[in-house]
Amino acid sequence: MNFQRIIPTMILPRGQSINELKPYLSIFIIITFLFSIVFLKMEIRRIGYTDLKLSRDEKRSRDQSRGQMIALAKVTRPDRLQKVAESRLTLRKAESGQIIQMTDAGRAIKQ
Amino acid sequence: MKSRISVLFIALSLFVCFILGRAASLQIWHNERLQALQRKQFETLIELHGRRGDITDRKGHELAVSAPAYSLFADPKVITNRRQVAQLLQKEFGFSKKQTLEKLHNKSRFVWLVRKLDRDKHERIEAMKIRGLGFIEESNRIYPNEKLFSQTLGIVGSEGKGLEGLELEYNDTLTGQNRIVSMKRDARGRPLMVNGQLFNEAPDGADLQLTIDRELQFILEQELSSVINEQRADSAVGVVLDANTSEVLALASLPEGGNDAGARRNRAVSDAFEPGSVMKPVLVAGVLQKKLMTAKTRIDCEGGTLQVGDKVIHEADANHDFHLLSLSEIIAYSSNVGAAKIGLAFGDDNLRQNLMTFGFGDKTSIDLPGESKGILQPLPWRNHLTANISFGHGIGVTPIQVANAYAAIANGGWLKRPFLVKKIHDNETGETVETQGKTLRRVLTQEVADQMKMMLVGATGKDGTGFNARVPGFLVAGKTGTAQKVNPSGRGYLKNAYISSFAGFLPANDPKFVIYVAVDNPKKDYYGAQVAAQSFLKLPDLRSVNLDWLRSTHPRRRLFLKKKSRCRQNLLRQKKMWFLVRVT
Repeated sequence: MNFQRIIPTMILPRGQSINELKPYLSIFIIITFLFSIVFLKMEIRRIGYTDLKLSRDEKRSRDQSRGQMIALAKVTRPDRLQKVAESRLTLRKAESGQIIQMTDAGRAIKQ
Repeated sequence: MKSRISVLFIALSLFVCFILGRAASLQIWHNERLQALQRKQFETLIELHGRRGDITDRKGHELAVSAPAYSLFADPKVITNRRQVAQLLQKEFGFSKKQTLEKLHNKSRFVWLVRKLDRDKHERIEAMKIRGLGFIEESNRIYPNEKLFSQTLGIVGSEGKGLEGLELEYNDTLTGQNRIVSMKRDARGRPLMVNGQLFNEAPDGADLQLTIDRELQFILEQELSSVINEQRADSAVGVVLDANTSEVLALASLPEGGNDAGARRNRAVSDAFEPGSVMKPVLVAGVLQKKLMTAKTRIDCEGGTLQVGDKVIHEADANHDFHLLSLSEIIAYSSNVGAAKIGLAFGDDNLRQNLMTFGFGDKTSIDLPGESKGILQPLPWRNHLTANISFGHGIGVTPIQVANAYAAIANGGWLKRPFLVKKIHDNETGETVETQGKTLRRVLTQEVADQMKMMLVGATGKDGTGFNARVPGFLVAGKTGTAQKVNPSGRGYLKNAYISSFAGFLPANDPKFVIYVAVDNPKKDYYGAQVAAQSFLKLPDLRSVNLDWLRSTHPRRRLFLKKKSRCRQNLLRQKKMWFLVRVT
């Protein structure tokens, strides 16, 4: 395909050749190139800020998950479980020789 | 006209050259002062905190964890309405208005207002956007189980360094590294970064997985606490080891001493005391190993009294007037005279060597700081001392040494190093290093170890001193000890003050647990058989925590379980829910 023939017919006024446009074209390319560089730099900066925000969010999520893990560990500590079992569920410690009937689901049957 | 233009052109050219030259000198040539100014203006230092590693039990339950905490500071000069700020902080968070105001009137440009706030408060205060208030992220060490296992875990100081216990011993492993990163910032002070992940890349410390079982530890501490209350004792110590590997499954010394560093020490490894008769099996094992006597060799116990030099040795109970006893019976009835005569026949050098072979007089090298070697007198020994050491007086041992010596008998004669850390997980590389138990040496042949097991089973038999330690359905091997307490502020022993102990393992035919319990100065009863053996009896409630091994243990137990097949299934299912039994 011969661009030198097609472009003039598309954009050039009649009687003008491509050679007359060449200086403007090169300036246009340079300016576009410079703008592209600026745009890319700005994109890098913008992505950097997004990355920063996401990394902070990730840290916050990890900290929250850690906080919940600690809360769970506190709630399930043995002495607390025992207190709950004894005071709220009216259960008591298994004694030597005691047989506990349990269901298949692992629950104690009422003795 | 033309010359004027030329002059003007030359002047302007010179000026432009000067400007260009100056710009080049500023940009190209090195200037320390200008670079510092640039750094100050455009660069920021960010400190990234590596998290201190977690400590978990053998099943992964958290014992010590680190969480970020936020410390609130103020720049009093920047705050315009101090009274209002103090009032707001009091209203929202309950901070003392008076104290806050005092701090805000400080002339310094940096004042701590509150240290280590949680994330919720941190976010709420930040949302208020009060000028002059800021936060610094720190780390907070949290022990979710509160006092459970606290003496062994130790503590971390405000600077994040381990000060005691495992926190101190493994401080270098646990400590996360702090990394300071220098980076450029924009006009709003935000860091200009290429990789945001940098913020999350501070190297965390390694996580430790212990050999401890949280449930066993809880039961042990509960039992020790109850025996202290019941017997009005000064303190109690308990050790549970894995019989085959010497892994520490539970380790406790109560009561805990609060904030007093001396009382907070881990007596199970740091305190040496005279153990009493629990040492007799070690003596007998040595004699059998040397083949000086057999289990059937009979010793004349001379009616319960033995003159050694100018001292007289009596049986623990004045009613005991033993005469001819075999070695097995000497252990079963805990005859002091019999043990003394065996010790004298063995000789001081053999006896000392035997004790050292079992690890007494030396550290066990357990991974805890402050371990005591115990006290083992240098040779030569007077006959009286030899006789005394034969039944556990005149020697200082730590509870971990006794438990480990019994583990050697239980596992067929191998002395192993007790240890607390099972795995170390490196969060940086993702690698996990498993700690292998270290076998130190063979102290008994398999045959002698089996004989000792039989003798120790006899000691918990119908007529044995350890009868109270019997657990229905199991063969228990063990020995009681009742030692007079040494006078700490003078010579001799305290009157009516004893250390009652019991050391043993179960099931005797295939040992899984080695348990040692010592109760210091019980006021109600004092015989090891009455005090510590009772605790031992209750401790096998641990069996309900881990029932897997029960299925193939004792034949009687198997038969019982077979008859109650449905109950067996149910028993095996209950596992951790050992206390969830409905009251009818």
